[in-house]
Amino acid sequence: MGGYGDVQMIDENGKRVDGRGPGDLRDITIETDVVPVADGSCRMTWGTNEVIVAVYGPMECHPRKLQRQDRAVLDVAYNMAPFSTTDRMRPGFNRRSREISKVTKDALESVVLLELYPRSKIRISIEVLSAEAGTRCVGLTAASVALADAGVPMTDMVVSVASGKINDVVVCDLNKEEDNYGEADLPMGILPNSGQLVFLQMDGDLSQEEFNQAWQYNMDAAQTIHNFMVDSLKGGEA
Amino acid sequence: MAIPLVPKLLRAHLAELAENDARIDGRQQWEGRDVEIETSVLPRAEGSARVRMGDTIVFAGVKFQIMKPYSDRPNQGGLMCSAEIRPVAGRNWESGPPSPESIELGRVVDRGIRESGCIDVDALCIIPGEKAWQVILDLFAISDDGNLFDAFALAGIAALRNAVVPAERFEVGEDYSLGVSKTPIMCSYHKVGDRFVYDACGREELGGDERIHITLGDDDHVHSLQKGLKGIFSTEEFTEIMGRAQERSKEIRDILDSL
Repeated sequence: MGGYGDVQMIDENGKRVDGRGPGDLRDITIETDVVPVADGSCRMTWGTNEVIVAVYGPMECHPRKLQRQDRAVLDVAYNMAPFSTTDRMRPGFNRRSREISKVTKDALESVVLLELYPRSKIRISIEVLSAEAGTRCVGLTAASVALADAGVPMTDMVVSVASGKINDVVVCDLNKEEDNYGEADLPMGILPNSGQLVFLQMDGDLSQEEFNQAWQYNMDAAQTIHNFMVDSLKGGEA
Repeated sequence: MAIPLVPKLLRAHLAELAENDARIDGRQQWEGRDVEIETSVLPRAEGSARVRMGDTIVFAGVKFQIMKPYSDRPNQGGLMCSAEIRPVAGRNWESGPPSPESIELGRVVDRGIRESGCIDVDALCIIPGEKAWQVILDLFAISDDGNLFDAFALAGIAALRNAVVPAERFEVGEDYSLGVSKTPIMCSYHKVGDRFVYDACGREELGGDERIHITLGDDDHVHSLQKGLKGIFSTEEFTEIMGRAQERSKEIRDILDSL
């Protein structure tokens, strides 16, 4: 984390730079069937984040050495488009996108009923078109919606959201400035129906009390976001 | 790109349709799909556009960097155009280093825009020999149902037309509109079942042969040509396509101007 604790990010009324209270989420919209040639897809905007996810498969797994005799494999690629950031992002893989692809895959493999599709592959492409902060959470959440849109059986969808700390105050869903100057970030992947977790990261500095508060913010936010996800899949506007 | 299987049945079907002057999606030989253009769609880009033609969807984003002018052209900035077709866009597109197909796409679109002279590279110079703007046009496919070439070219010029040079952020003066003086338009034709058609869809590309891309400027000046894939064509065929491209490029330019 940046940890520039002297930058004032919360005013005397407890309002954040974008006018939210500590537990408030940014605006979220979810749309399905946005990539016509894919088997399932999702476009999610979250603040000024915009992510498109396409799902292809289950399909034949190439190369064959990647096949598993008893289950499907997920091929997850998280990528930021070159125009998604203030300074242009050079195309191609980097260490950060590799790690995010891996943890996203680990989270989704925990919910997809892989054993129904032996020797096959399900490809999940996460493309960040506009990045603000928390793109890994948007990507994982949108990927769950795209998988559901593709009709891939899962035990639950994954809702991912992050909370953190700025100016010694625990807040939900950090935006870009807060992420740059904040003191901690706790992204989680939550199964909304059971409250279990499939994804967890953290960096920064939190006391045990602050940690518990951040955890609770994420748990509460997951229920709100889950409602949006279900609405979008039922064909309503989220 | 994975080499897709071309079903013989599809080729035979397309040939039969062509004999009866029909197309697989019901269009006429020279009829394009509906074109939708939206601009300023990407909050982090200095200029952007989204183009949809049927089930083909692409984005274009313009970013700026400060570069040192090339030593042989100290008074000029630069223009760079690159196309990325990632696995999101279709099941035959694979991740990894840029494929020859996506490099060809980027370079053909680049030539059409560059050679039309629509961007004044002299005006991109900030301090001769030291500082100049580099305009970077990134083309990004979301859904590939054929004719990414025309979609990219159109999204590219639309994004450049609404680009704002971020001079304040780089502390070299005030933001100003990039300024695009001409509107090059690409029209692509695909040989399907022994005749050329305009704006091939994915299935026509899969079961077709060679393709020809023509970029025309405001006064029908020719700015870039490209023949791609295996196939043979005659002067007569090309003359007909050129005539069709003149008509169609005007229609597309009108759509852009009406935005």
